[in-house]
Amino acid sequence: MKKTEIVLILLIAVIIGVVLSLTYNASTYITFADAEKRMGKEFTVIGDLNKEKEISFKPRLNLLTFYATDSLANERKVYYHDAKPQDFERSEKITMTGFATDSGFVANTILMKCPSKYNEQQLVELDSIALH
Amino acid sequence: MEYIGEHSFIGNIGQAFISIAFVAAILAAFCFYKASKNTSDQSDWRKVARASFIIHGISVIGIVATLFIMIYNHYFEYQYVWQHSSRDLPARYMLSCFWEGQEGSFLLWTFWNVLLGGILIRRAHKWEFSVMSIVSVIQVFLSSMLLGIYVFGVKIGSSPFILIRNLEENIGLPWTEMVDYLQKIPQFMDGRGLNPLLQNYWMVIHPPVLFLGFALTMIPFTYAIAALWKKQYAQWVKEALPWAFTGVLVLGTGILMGGAWAYESLSFGGFWAWDPVENSSLVPWITLIASAHLMLIFKARKSALRATFALTILTFLLILYSTYLTRSGVLGDTSVHAFAGGLPDQLLIYLLTFVLVSAYLFISRYKHIPTIEKDEETSSREFWMFIGAMVLFISAFQITWFTSLPVINKVLGTHMAPPIDAIALYNSWQTPFALIIVVLIGVSQFLSYKKTDIKKLGKQLSFSIISSAFLAMLLAYSLDMWHLLYVVLLWATIFAAIANFDYWRRILQGKLRIAGPSIAHMGFAFVVMGALLSNANKQVISMNDSFISKDFPSNENLLLEKGDTVAMGDYYVHYKYDTLKGINMNYHVEYFEKNEAGQLEFQFSLDPFIQLNEIMGNVAEPATEHFLLYDVYTHLTYADVDEHDSNDPYHHESLININQGDSVIYDKHFLYLDSLMVSTKNDLSSQTALDVMLIAKIRMKNMLGEESATQAVYAVKNNTAQYFPGFLIDGELKYKFVFSDVNTEAGSIQIKAFEHIDNEKPFIVLKAIIFPYINLLWIGMVLMAVGTLIAVIQLFKKSKP
Repeated sequence: MKKTEIVLILLIAVIIGVVLSLTYNASTYITFADAEKRMGKEFTVIGDLNKEKEISFKPRLNLLTFYATDSLANERKVYYHDAKPQDFERSEKITMTGFATDSGFVANTILMKCPSKYNEQQLVELDSIALH
Repeated sequence: MEYIGEHSFIGNIGQAFISIAFVAAILAAFCFYKASKNTSDQSDWRKVARASFIIHGISVIGIVATLFIMIYNHYFEYQYVWQHSSRDLPARYMLSCFWEGQEGSFLLWTFWNVLLGGILIRRAHKWEFSVMSIVSVIQVFLSSMLLGIYVFGVKIGSSPFILIRNLEENIGLPWTEMVDYLQKIPQFMDGRGLNPLLQNYWMVIHPPVLFLGFALTMIPFTYAIAALWKKQYAQWVKEALPWAFTGVLVLGTGILMGGAWAYESLSFGGFWAWDPVENSSLVPWITLIASAHLMLIFKARKSALRATFALTILTFLLILYSTYLTRSGVLGDTSVHAFAGGLPDQLLIYLLTFVLVSAYLFISRYKHIPTIEKDEETSSREFWMFIGAMVLFISAFQITWFTSLPVINKVLGTHMAPPIDAIALYNSWQTPFALIIVVLIGVSQFLSYKKTDIKKLGKQLSFSIISSAFLAMLLAYSLDMWHLLYVVLLWATIFAAIANFDYWRRILQGKLRIAGPSIAHMGFAFVVMGALLSNANKQVISMNDSFISKDFPSNENLLLEKGDTVAMGDYYVHYKYDTLKGINMNYHVEYFEKNEAGQLEFQFSLDPFIQLNEIMGNVAEPATEHFLLYDVYTHLTYADVDEHDSNDPYHHESLININQGDSVIYDKHFLYLDSLMVSTKNDLSSQTALDVMLIAKIRMKNMLGEESATQAVYAVKNNTAQYFPGFLIDGELKYKFVFSDVNTEAGSIQIKAFEHIDNEKPFIVLKAIIFPYINLLWIGMVLMAVGTLIAVIQLFKKSKP
């Protein structure tokens, strides 16, 4: 057996390891209700920001609280102990990693998605002009 | 219909350039293909082909120029100009508008390809026809991204020259029929402006360099494909080699500039976050390094040719894949700065076309690609270079595979979420790969091709091994860093740096001309060393766990009131004042240290700032004090940017709706509306006659039960409302109440309550991190660039016929 062949076998072995390890390391998107079954364990939840309810940021406490609805339309209060991200109010979908508690979901990281940020917003503005 | 003030002519010119560029690219591809057939009419085909490509090039430059003129002159009737620029945008950032949008960045890429195509026409000689026909096909795909036309109802490309009134969504709306819409609709007076994050000098140079790097991977790829196509498997490597290293140089510099930008002006506190967008430019760079080194093996020993083909082709395909990842919107929830929406299908067709054609050519020719039957010696340089290339490949594979999670989800229909702590996961995978690479970098230059005398090797390396072990222990001790893998990696980086320096001094006798590889390798060792030391030992000095449990990230932030001095790590920080400079609100923070006598001594001051941007939202940017051995990074996580009128010391408006006789809670006080009186034709402390006057008697009670009362007046005179506010004082707290509206249906009135600016001291919340030895990283980057440049110059000199 040639050395390069041994190298190739090793290479394939590591690649299979990488491929399989992703499923092992990936977390799962779940709902608030599922997260509450195992309180304190970290999960990823995707939710819609409820813009009707209060979005409060208390800089002295370094605490952002808001309400989010998950894919099953369950709503929870979310606590995020960090600065309020830029343009938070405009976001729609929010990906949160964190854990459930009795009083709400505690997010360690949040990632926002605002599809309308650069494109659709102007159309709304111009539409309203057209109506006047 | 003529629209008043609309510059439709220039847009038509731009659109015409796009069409010409597209058609000329098709023509060039066809004619270069014909010329490559070596028939008797070859010189005729060559003439037409070259002319077509030149016309294509001129048109692309024409598109760039037209778009720039439109941005420079603020033609906001155009979607692209409106969306990406504004009147107050400084001229130095106007070029940045090109890379904020999809269309502009494809244009930039197309532009670089045109320049490289021009060079290939001059330099590629007998390879010109086959290589240029592939380049032209690439240009067909790229310029089709700019077309913005409909074919059988399918939109192809997206043009930067489209008028807002011609946007699909706007067609048929009433205002598009207004001849004077540009004058009537205020939105057209100014554009939305450039994203504040792009208004930074790094962002002026980082994207063009990065895109040039992307473009450069095209050259080795086209040579490799041409070689497979024309079944001339060997000679292309010599031609492609200097270009591959040029790509390594430029793409590497571009990526590192992005890191410098992130470190200097982004808020995450670091230069690398394993974000999908960052990863997708890093991965092709890694495979390009592997492919360039495989070319070196082939040049020296005529072996490893199949792997060379594979990695050279893969590098370009990875560039296309990363374009698809970052621009099709597929990354969705997993990346902060992925482009939304876009041209997913068209990008996918572009990607799949090249993947399928390349795969077909590679597989069908695989058996014919020459190999060497004899096995390589374990002590040979080529063997270990090959191992290095394979480790690089696995490293790239791991990053790609983990970044591709959203794509995997799409293909398999699964719903896997990204790992909870992605950064730690990437680090734990990549650290061992980095260790192997760095050790190989230290050893491989001392190895000879074919076979190395092991005894001699040991002698030559012993100094580097021993001295680096000593230095590594010293550093680990001084930093108290005893994580085994980190210590070993630290040793390896120091070893690699010393060994390469040693090689240059002793073996190359200090000649600079041929020192390229040694300097570049030394630079890489420093980069890894700097990344390791600054990341593994970074110290968040703004730690604060006074009111929240320890595990929350919140304890990394420190609250600082104006005028206060607070202990932070070994420093004492003092928030002195804030000033508005242009669009930036600067917060002046002074750093002190206690001397032996116990007095505070001024060390330095920093001005982290907030860029004010009404349309896109304010952006906080950090400030960093650089020292030789460490950096102090300071970032505002919160600052009150509320600008109040200098004549009116009241701010923080709150709206209160209250009925007569009711009470509400306002800022730790009970507020009562005792009575509401109406009087007409009355006089209020002056001679002014009023039509109607409403007087609200307001009473405020604090938690101790102490009360004070005032009245706020809402008056109407000549059909205009006038407000006479009431003021209340509770100890040191002062408030203002404006009776602003009456709700007759609910029977309530509306009061706007304001706090005095002295009620609460202004404060900032900041995060401060010390990054030790981060300068090693930047020094390494410079060395790597300089070394690669020297090597590239040398390679081009050698490749001259």
